[in-house]
Amino acid sequence: MNPLNPENTDDLQQLIDFLKENQVAEFELDRGELRVRLKFDRPQASAAGLPELASLLAGARTAPAQPATAAAADSPLAEEPAADPNAGLHIVKSPIVGTFYGSPSPGASAFVSVGDRVEKGQVICIVEAMKLMNEIESDAAGEIVKCFVSNGQPIEFGQPLFSVRLG
Amino acid sequence: MFRKVLIANRGEIALRVLNACRELGIRTVAVYSEADRNSLHVRFADEAICIGPPRLAESYLNVPAVISAAEIADVDAIHPGYGLLSENASFAEVCRASNIKFIGPPPEVTRLMGEKEKARQAMKKAKVPILPGSDGVIATAADAGKCAKAVGYPVILKATAGGGGRGMRIVRAANELPNLFHAASSEAANAFGNGELYLEKFIEQPRHIEFQVLADEHGNVATLFERECSIQRRHQKLVEEAPSLQMTPRLREELGRTLCRCLADIGYQNAGTVEFLMDEDKQLYFIEMNTRIQVEHPVTEAITGVDLVKAQLRIAAGERLDAILPAKLEIRGHAIECRINAEHPTKFTPSAGKITAFNVPGGNGVRVDTAQYAESVVPPYYDSLIAKLIVYGVDRAEAIAKMERALSQFVVQGIETSISMHQAILADPAFRAGDFDTKFMERLLAKEAEG
Repeated sequence: MNPLNPENTDDLQQLIDFLKENQVAEFELDRGELRVRLKFDRPQASAAGLPELASLLAGARTAPAQPATAAAADSPLAEEPAADPNAGLHIVKSPIVGTFYGSPSPGASAFVSVGDRVEKGQVICIVEAMKLMNEIESDAAGEIVKCFVSNGQPIEFGQPLFSVRLG
Repeated sequence: MFRKVLIANRGEIALRVLNACRELGIRTVAVYSEADRNSLHVRFADEAICIGPPRLAESYLNVPAVISAAEIADVDAIHPGYGLLSENASFAEVCRASNIKFIGPPPEVTRLMGEKEKARQAMKKAKVPILPGSDGVIATAADAGKCAKAVGYPVILKATAGGGGRGMRIVRAANELPNLFHAASSEAANAFGNGELYLEKFIEQPRHIEFQVLADEHGNVATLFERECSIQRRHQKLVEEAPSLQMTPRLREELGRTLCRCLADIGYQNAGTVEFLMDEDKQLYFIEMNTRIQVEHPVTEAITGVDLVKAQLRIAAGERLDAILPAKLEIRGHAIECRINAEHPTKFTPSAGKITAFNVPGGNGVRVDTAQYAESVVPPYYDSLIAKLIVYGVDRAEAIAKMERALSQFVVQGIETSISMHQAILADPAFRAGDFDTKFMERLLAKEAEG
């Protein structure tokens, strides 16, 4: 494997963006012919150590039902970095643990779609927990930009559901 | 055996349960609050689900969140650890209703043992010795006075719904009783929603001795000997050991048999600990039962060779005790445990923050159960236990030598810990001679303050 071919450089760029975004102070990778050491000059760095980094990388996978890879430190380049396009958008997060449903009942149309305007307090989805359907309200007014989850997906507390462009 | 188990706890016990599950080939699901995102048990679990913000009530004690997580992860069973929801009969009932196996006794038994006065009566009926005292809950201060006179001062008033030292008052003279009765009752009503009190003879210098029990779901009960937990400060244990220097083989056997009979009668299942006070005449008196695995279970594991958490999982999966325990249970050697807390060693104020250096001692007969690691953060929201240091030796002298050596090599920087206080306990001549009771810490701290 040529460590300097374009594919790897792109992966490396994504990795660097990911590390910067999560305010990692130092990173070292050793993979056969490829050895990378990055040190960021950050005055208020949270100084994430390797164990915290490993869990940050594992946490970059969105669905909680997928296994958190124990070998995250072995293959960081294969991980998808957290999406940057959310910059400037408000994220509506789940206040409870459960199963996400985008519409009030199977077959019915979705509460909201990308591009719709929502008001604060408007019901935008349902999270089912212990056989109860909990209506989740938007905590902001604006335009729905993206939905991060799909119908029937298990979600955890604090999981991003929608991004909203405020206004 | 279960396919998947959810661990409804955090910190060192969550990791302990996770380890037992892994070794039995069970998939593990961790639930965590936002403050525990970088915890070891979250890191090592097969699946992890965030269930709430840092506050206990909104996360680890939030029954709907825990059950919802169990449902979306499709688990077979929940292990509640110790503290938190482990003795919550309502939680056990919700598990049952949701078709999830609760790893512990049936809710009815938990409820019975949870009401201290009812538990006392159940033990009394089974001829387990209990402290002389009131026959059930006492209605008025006047009744309390009559009972106290019959029992003889000093007496202690205790909340039937209580624990952890709240709703308790020691009464040394008759004229103090009415005021203390009302104080205890209000405190209990505020803390537990139930102001009912019962009364017991108060032993001035007791030793705290507890018995480990295991019961399968087929009516079989066994005891795994005792632990001595007299080294306490404000009802919080600091050092525990097994076996107790005060027990004799005969006493152990007799009490063991009585306990097994009693617990079989009430339909006990899974792990539990029966707590006793021992007076100056070596008489044992039942005080309460904890219907869960305890913090100090490792000292029993060390002297018996039985993995108690695996036993819990196997019992809950339907296995019989004779398949889990050796044919003949024996005490081998001596074990001591120190509860290392994140707190100032003499002021006992909690010390949260980031651990900057962490060296865990090892070696022959040294075990450390901890969820901390270098660069980990001890959050301010939970209890201060950060590690359990357990040593095992052929006898008590060797165990003490190992504990002193291990404590001296346990390096924790960035936060305060109780390590130096534990070293003072181990160095104390009274401790070394085995000459102590539950007032030991008061005396030691007074000595340290003077010296």
